[in-house]
Amino acid sequence: MKSPLLLLALLLAVPALAATTGNPARDAILSGYAAQAKQANPGFTSFSAAAGGAFFRAHPGTGNADTPSCTTCHTNSPRNIGHTRAGKDLRPMAISRTPRRFTEPAKVEKWFARNCHTVYGRTCTAQEKGDFITFMASQ
Amino acid sequence: MKPIHFLAVVIALAAFTGAARADDAKTYTNECAACHMAYPAQLMPARSWRAITAHLAQHFGEDASLDPATLAIITRYLDANAADARGGNRGAMRGLRGSDTPERITDMPFWRRIHRDLLRPGIGTGPGIRSAADCQRCHNGNGEGD
Repeated sequence: MKSPLLLLALLLAVPALAATTGNPARDAILSGYAAQAKQANPGFTSFSAAAGGAFFRAHPGTGNADTPSCTTCHTNSPRNIGHTRAGKDLRPMAISRTPRRFTEPAKVEKWFARNCHTVYGRTCTAQEKGDFITFMASQ
Repeated sequence: MKPIHFLAVVIALAAFTGAARADDAKTYTNECAACHMAYPAQLMPARSWRAITAHLAQHFGEDASLDPATLAIITRYLDANAADARGGNRGAMRGLRGSDTPERITDMPFWRRIHRDLLRPGIGTGPGIRSAADCQRCHNGNGEGD
C-alpha cells in the first residue's frame, strides 16, 4: 500500500458498501444491491434506513387501488403482524421479529418484483431495495 | 431387456414420479399459501385452475407472478388433483355447466349450495369473517407458506 491515506479511505469505504445485518446471506444480498446502485449512480455511498422507512410508508398512487402502500398489508409498523387481503397473517417484516427475512435471494427478488408492481406500478431500483432492507434491519 | 430388469425400471420410474408428485404438493402449498390458504385443488376443475395460472400477474388485484419452472410444477399439480381429474371430486362438479369456467371457488355451484349463509350482504366487511375466501376462519387450517 503506497499511501496510508488510501488505506484509511478503503477501510472507511468498505463498511459503507457492505453493511452488516447479522446474517451473511442477507449481507450478501445487500452488497449485491449496493454494487448495482453504485453502477446506476457513481455517487452512491450507502443505503439509508430513513429512506427505506419513507418508501415503506409512502402512498405513491401509481399501483393498484387495493394496495396503495406497503402498509396496506404490513401495517404502519414493520414490527406488527400483517394481513393479506385474503385474510392470511404475515410474519412481521422487521428483522428483529422475523430473523430469516431477506436471506434468500430468489425469494427477495420475487417479492420485490410482485409488490413493487402492485404498490408502485413499476420495478424498484437497487437503491430502493437496499434502503428497504436496511430499514427493516433497523426495526 | 430381461423382464426382471424391465420391472426394476418400472418400479424406479414409479418411485421417481411419486416423489415428484409429493414435491409438487409442497411447491403448491409453499407458493400459494404465502397469501391465502392453499385452496384444495379438488374444489375446481382443471380448466378453472388453468385460467387462473394463465394470468398470475393479475391475480385478484395482486401480482402473484411466478418463474416458469415453478409455474409448470404448480400447473402439473393442479391438473393432477383437480375436481375433474381421475379420482377427483365429482361432488364438486355437480351443477357446473361445461361452458362455465369459474375462477373462484365461491362461484362453484356446489359451494353456493352449502354456503348460503355466506352469500348474505355484509360478509367480508365486519370484524368477523374477513371474506368468504377466508375458509380457515371456519374450517381448520391448511398450512404455512411463503
